[in-house]
Amino acid sequence: MKYLLSFFLTGAMLFRGETKAQVREEAKAQTPEKRPNIVLILADDMGFSDMGMFGSEIRTPNLDSLAQSGVRFTNFYTCASSSPTRSMLLTGQDTHINGLGAMDEWTAPAQMGKEGYEGNLRTSLVTLPQLLKDAGYHTYMVGKWHLGKAPDKIPAARGFERDFTLLDGMGSYWDMTNMTALNHTSVFTEDGKYLTKLPKNYYATKTYTDKLISFIDKNHGDGKPFFAYVCHQAPHDPYHLPKDWRNRHVGEYDKGWDIVRQERLKKQKEFGIIPENTQLAERMWFVPDYSILAPATRAVLGRKMELYAGLIENMDYHIGRLIDHLKEIGEYENTIFIVFGDNGAEGNDLGAMIGGTPGTLNYLYFATKWSNTDLNAWGEPHSYVGYGPGWAQVSMTPFSQYKGWMAEGGIHNALVVSGPINKLPKGSINHGTMFVTDIMPTLLEVAGANYPETFNGKAQPKLTGKSWLPVLNGQAASPRTDEDYIAMEVFGNRALRQGDWKIRWEIKPIGKSDWELFNLAQDPGERNDLAAQYPDKLKEMLILWDKYVQENNVILPDRTLFETLEDQLPARVPVQDGYPPLNYIRQFIPPADMMAKPKKIKNN
Amino acid sequence: MNNFIKFISMRAGNFSLALFIVMLCASISTMAQGDGARFYWKGFMGTNAVPVIVNSMGGNANPMDPSNTVIPGSEFSAAMSMAGYARMLPIGKRSALISVLVPMGRISGVASLDGIDFSATSRGFGDPMVQFSINVIGPKAIMNIPDILRYKPGFSLDILGSLAVPIGQYDNTIPINIGQNRWYGRIGIPIVWQIGQWIPGKRTTFEFLPAVWFFTDNKDFVGKTMSTKPKYQLEAHLTRDFMERMWGSFDVISYLGGKSTVDGVEGDALSNLGLGGTLGYQINENMQLTLSYNTTVNDNDAEDLKMDGFRITFLYGWHKLIEGMHRLKGNE
Repeated sequence: MKYLLSFFLTGAMLFRGETKAQVREEAKAQTPEKRPNIVLILADDMGFSDMGMFGSEIRTPNLDSLAQSGVRFTNFYTCASSSPTRSMLLTGQDTHINGLGAMDEWTAPAQMGKEGYEGNLRTSLVTLPQLLKDAGYHTYMVGKWHLGKAPDKIPAARGFERDFTLLDGMGSYWDMTNMTALNHTSVFTEDGKYLTKLPKNYYATKTYTDKLISFIDKNHGDGKPFFAYVCHQAPHDPYHLPKDWRNRHVGEYDKGWDIVRQERLKKQKEFGIIPENTQLAERMWFVPDYSILAPATRAVLGRKMELYAGLIENMDYHIGRLIDHLKEIGEYENTIFIVFGDNGAEGNDLGAMIGGTPGTLNYLYFATKWSNTDLNAWGEPHSYVGYGPGWAQVSMTPFSQYKGWMAEGGIHNALVVSGPINKLPKGSINHGTMFVTDIMPTLLEVAGANYPETFNGKAQPKLTGKSWLPVLNGQAASPRTDEDYIAMEVFGNRALRQGDWKIRWEIKPIGKSDWELFNLAQDPGERNDLAAQYPDKLKEMLILWDKYVQENNVILPDRTLFETLEDQLPARVPVQDGYPPLNYIRQFIPPADMMAKPKKIKNN
Repeated sequence: MNNFIKFISMRAGNFSLALFIVMLCASISTMAQGDGARFYWKGFMGTNAVPVIVNSMGGNANPMDPSNTVIPGSEFSAAMSMAGYARMLPIGKRSALISVLVPMGRISGVASLDGIDFSATSRGFGDPMVQFSINVIGPKAIMNIPDILRYKPGFSLDILGSLAVPIGQYDNTIPINIGQNRWYGRIGIPIVWQIGQWIPGKRTTFEFLPAVWFFTDNKDFVGKTMSTKPKYQLEAHLTRDFMERMWGSFDVISYLGGKSTVDGVEGDALSNLGLGGTLGYQINENMQLTLSYNTTVNDNDAEDLKMDGFRITFLYGWHKLIEGMHRLKGNE
């Protein structure tokens, strides 16, 4: 409320014709506290367990320091894919309302031309940065946008005062090389202008941080708080990282995903991130038991995880630079940090999906632009490395599946909130159910800004998210009641959570092409489908799903990214430790005192 | 299970290029061309290799005589081939290479020695040379495929010793022979220094080979005794990949010393500089081909060593593990 009051007072003084400087001085005198700065860090495809304070062996001291001084939220949800999550974050609206009912790369015929399925952020909706800017915040963005490239859809048009932005969803970290023959060049903007080239010595994570620091410094001292939307490309594939960061874990992952998952699970239990009785999700059936793999295969696959770890550590280093800078200029104590990944870790092989079919244009393009395949070249420009489903499940420990899917591994993310809005003890862990659409109402409340009924003459849909401030103030354990639910759909995969219960529908063979029911409190790894056991509960939740569909104009896709997956993957079988025994039976060694040489045969 | 294998081959990516096992050669430094570039790169322990080398050389010294004794006014030409066998093996945790190389072919020449003109041709087998080298500074021996994948020479230094056994064909009535009728050998310290990254297509190395040759006396050199003082060899190569499978090098070689005395009559010590270039091509995992040319440059005086030559080296290498993998792949 005090922020709101300050905002109105400032507006009133300006109306009286006083200079901005006078207003600032008077505001300073009258406002005991400056409104907090907000730094929202989005790590692209970072998994639930990839930060040290969420159980990882990856060294993330700076992210950990935020967690230690703030709160870790263990039941935070995003959408299962990138731009849908970003759209919810920036509008507070469901994807089927805000234009990301389908990603523009995968819009199905049934969805084309339909409102809410534009594949980019609808311009009729107001955005969080727009409202924060109107409320007196400087608004900065660096990093990946993925919400539209046309002039009316770029960050400068959607409320960001300063930006240095990759408009595409992915691409090289080193240059403007993009992913397909027809979309070969990444498009960047800086302060609303499309860039013809990148700055010298460009490296995504570093340059984004440098730019943000320069934005902050430029306006520092004018008395206005800032909102910084830091959308790191890291750790999205391709894993491009500077040489110094590539060899910090050599050989450490040769032990394999099963062991690393166990190690992370143990830490998570020690930290209190997950209940003591949590069982790891089943390893995906097409991901082999690492122990049966040859040393060379372990080394090559392990190398991918080494790079991923280095990529996150490099990102953490640059986040540390930002933190240090804010401390240097005296802004750190008054800055809210919100950190999370935009969806589950990436287990799909995007490189193979795009450029893996000989005889296609994209294959030719990959041969030209993405064929730096030698192991020692991994991390260099034109190399393409993604770590695949085995390691993605590690990143999503203890959950099942990964990005694109509606098991917890696709949508359940680590969330850290720190800074002056947190009144809970430092290092707290909260298990309340949070959703990415909550960020808009939370930050509007922090900034003392109102959500308008109309924007540019267009009526605005109501916000459906819940402010986190009651939780951060210690007044509530969760922003949601037992009746509240969250739901989402992308690529035809669907999920809805209410309390401890969750239903999900996923296309075969990852899912059953049918609804499944899980009790997440008892089974966070989603090992046991309870649909047959609790048909009434399923029915009850399907009613909520139908409500969600109606309220949000959900049009299910008639074609999807995964429609041929059943033909590509081996037949689904249960994964049970130690089966088949053939793989694990070791050489029999008889007792030494019972061993003998063969006896000679007479006359032979 | 088959699905798992397919899955892994898809996920593990293309690392077959890293499995080149032909990363060694056998020494052929019996000629003024030296050992050559990329000789002392390390391979998978247990790798076997058969080099076949074809040389065409000419100059004012017998190309097969490692002392490179200059016979002013002489003209030699040699068409030689060499074949051998080499094996990489670990000693302790260091990589070692043992090799044997047998020269064979034909040398013809015109020379004048003590006023007697010789015009002769020699053919047959030369002195086999046995060589042993072991790495003392640098990465540990490559014992398995993960080691190959992670191999980077960085700064690598070996110690080598060579010994030629005087059993090659020798005719004591002429000064032109394939066999040398004396023991000789060398000790040296091959150095490979990686410059920049170790990525096929971008690898750059600076390589040195300082070595000292020692010779016993040939007590029947056209009826005389030939003694040779130690000869110092300094070889340097700047090598660079042009593509993943093709590379080239700029070669420099210098010999100093090695003054020969024939029945008390002293010749001149060597002090020569040779320049050249090499092109190499990795045909597949088993085969490598190199082509090089080298010539002396400071050779205006009659006493200076004048020599040039072409050399084609074909190397076939194999390792039982890699061969087994090939067989399995063929059976898929």
